[in-house]
Amino acid sequence: MMRLSVVLAGLLMVSALSLVTLRFQARELFMQVEQLKVGAHDLENDWRRLQLKRAELARNARIDALARNELHLVPVDPERTLYLQQGQGRSEGQP
Amino acid sequence: MKRVGFHASPVLGMRPVFWRARLVVLVLLLAFMALAVKALDLQVLSNEFLQRQGERRYERTLVLPATRGKIFDRSGTVVLASSVPARAIWAVPEEFNRADDAQVRQLADLLGLPVGELRQRTAGDARSFVYLRRQVPVDVARRISALKIPGVQQLPETRRIYPEGDVLAHVVGFANIEDHGIEGAELAFDGHLSGQPGMRRVIRDRLGRIVEDVQAIVPPTDGHNLRLSIDAGIQFDVWRALQDALAMHKAQAGTAIVLDVQTGEILAMVSLPSYDPNETAQRSGPAVRNRVVTDTFEPGSIMKPFTAALALDSGRIGLDTQFDTGNGRYAYHGAVISDVSRNGRLDVRGIIRQSSNIGMTMIADRLDARSMWTTFSELGFGRVPNMLFPGMASGRLRPWQRWRPIEQATMAYGYGLSVSLLQVARAYTAFARDGDMVSLSMVRREGRPTSVQVYTPEVARLMRGMLEAAAGPDGARLAQVRGYRVAGKSGTARKIVNGHYSKNKYRSSFVGFAPVSDPRIVVAVSIDEPGAGGYYGGRVAAPVFADIVSGTLRRMGVRPDAPVDALVAAAPAREGGIR
Repeated sequence: MMRLSVVLAGLLMVSALSLVTLRFQARELFMQVEQLKVGAHDLENDWRRLQLKRAELARNARIDALARNELHLVPVDPERTLYLQQGQGRSEGQP
Repeated sequence: MKRVGFHASPVLGMRPVFWRARLVVLVLLLAFMALAVKALDLQVLSNEFLQRQGERRYERTLVLPATRGKIFDRSGTVVLASSVPARAIWAVPEEFNRADDAQVRQLADLLGLPVGELRQRTAGDARSFVYLRRQVPVDVARRISALKIPGVQQLPETRRIYPEGDVLAHVVGFANIEDHGIEGAELAFDGHLSGQPGMRRVIRDRLGRIVEDVQAIVPPTDGHNLRLSIDAGIQFDVWRALQDALAMHKAQAGTAIVLDVQTGEILAMVSLPSYDPNETAQRSGPAVRNRVVTDTFEPGSIMKPFTAALALDSGRIGLDTQFDTGNGRYAYHGAVISDVSRNGRLDVRGIIRQSSNIGMTMIADRLDARSMWTTFSELGFGRVPNMLFPGMASGRLRPWQRWRPIEQATMAYGYGLSVSLLQVARAYTAFARDGDMVSLSMVRREGRPTSVQVYTPEVARLMRGMLEAAAGPDGARLAQVRGYRVAGKSGTARKIVNGHYSKNKYRSSFVGFAPVSDPRIVVAVSIDEPGAGGYYGGRVAAPVFADIVSGTLRRMGVRPDAPVDALVAAAPAREGGIR
């Protein structure tokens, strides 16, 4: 009887200690999760910022001005365009 | 020294007084009882209250902000509006006044505000919270916090950015500082774009780190992204073409819209003058008005095809019915109707091509008011367009019971009623399609649009032919586009100034579609009060139309349907060539 009590008391101690440790670990992991979430949020914000930056650089007004003024490009004429009918290329090639 | 034995103490020799001992016991007993009551109170009775108080010391409720959705163009790759984090800079005036002048000057530089204004705003000690500036970019905010100015604090918020600026200002609109849509698509689709902020209760440790969630998290729902029907490329082309025209003709304002005939999607919508939605100061005044949908005007000749089509549809006139328009002046119900030129005898084709007011009067004379009103209503005139967008105007179409004959005649050629450019463009889809008018959409459409049959397919085909002639060599020649067959009608309407038709203020319009063999787009252009280089619709608006059509069809990759003298030729494919 006495021995059983001692064993149970020992088990109780072990369980209590492990509870404390696990709670501590849980909190640590939770903090990591939080940090990663903040990281994900920051990345999302960076993505938004970069997307806007790209949009700013790819603005039609800017591209148009660059193409016309710096590269001296002109809009293509129908006279200079070769129109290919989809799906016909192959059948035309066959005798 | 006299020694006194312990037992010989005189005090002990006294007879003890029992009530004293009892008193001490009683007092001790009472004290213990008081302790027990207090313990009961703390442990049992007010336990809950105390625990809550304790939690309140280290528990925090955090509001999880939701991000407003992004707006894209139809390709889904061009960002038209997006939110980025920003900071609001605020100050506690009492503490801020302790900052030295150098610090305040640095702060003023970073915020872009004069020093005097900063000092003035924080002058009174009465308030404990003063915004210095809102929507400050995060990097600037970081530099401000590095200055460590006493009393200057920051709050996180978001800032809405519109990369396309004034090109798409009227379409996208803008949202206010609280993230509520105020204009344009931002307002029309506010519910779709705005998210639902979330909430969480957490325990923080002494370093402010979050240690544990107390309750289940209510996660924030971010706003949905929105994909408009607008093509950013076409929009820019239209914007540029219109702006060039405005500069060339010194016009007050200009509007243009491009519709996809097959899907009813709005590919481009431009209203000039425009504004930059990124600048809060520009977000008011007449420039904010989206003239395409909100402004109504007397359309003039661009209405003529609708009346002519009705007359053909109802069989009141035939293709070979002749009308004698005489020498260009015609007395009708006490008024004189005049044409720009003398045209003699014309059939309906000639009337549309020459844009004869007298001819239209004669056609209207054969129609009854009720059927004209019904057709105009079916075409959407006088009714608010059924499309989700703010500020849609209905225009004005009076009930047919009150039309006088002269009014019926003027309405046949576009006076005495008012329409918006959006309404006209949509009505023209009836000609571009097989007599059915398509419903419009501001967002990218999946699936087939609904449409209303207004004219029979045969009449629509006939009208396409007439409108092609009207935009041909004998009509509005400047509307022609190399490589594509175009159809359309020009209109020049006098503006009403102080209740009278003005002699020198006009509104020049052109509405048409292309390519005629299989129409893909309807383009409507309207230029308000052109001041130089002519005022006729065929002169002012038609070249803009041509510009827009050629650019749009090129971007859409539509094959030319008119013969072109190709300067390049395909090399004949040889056997064993490129495989």
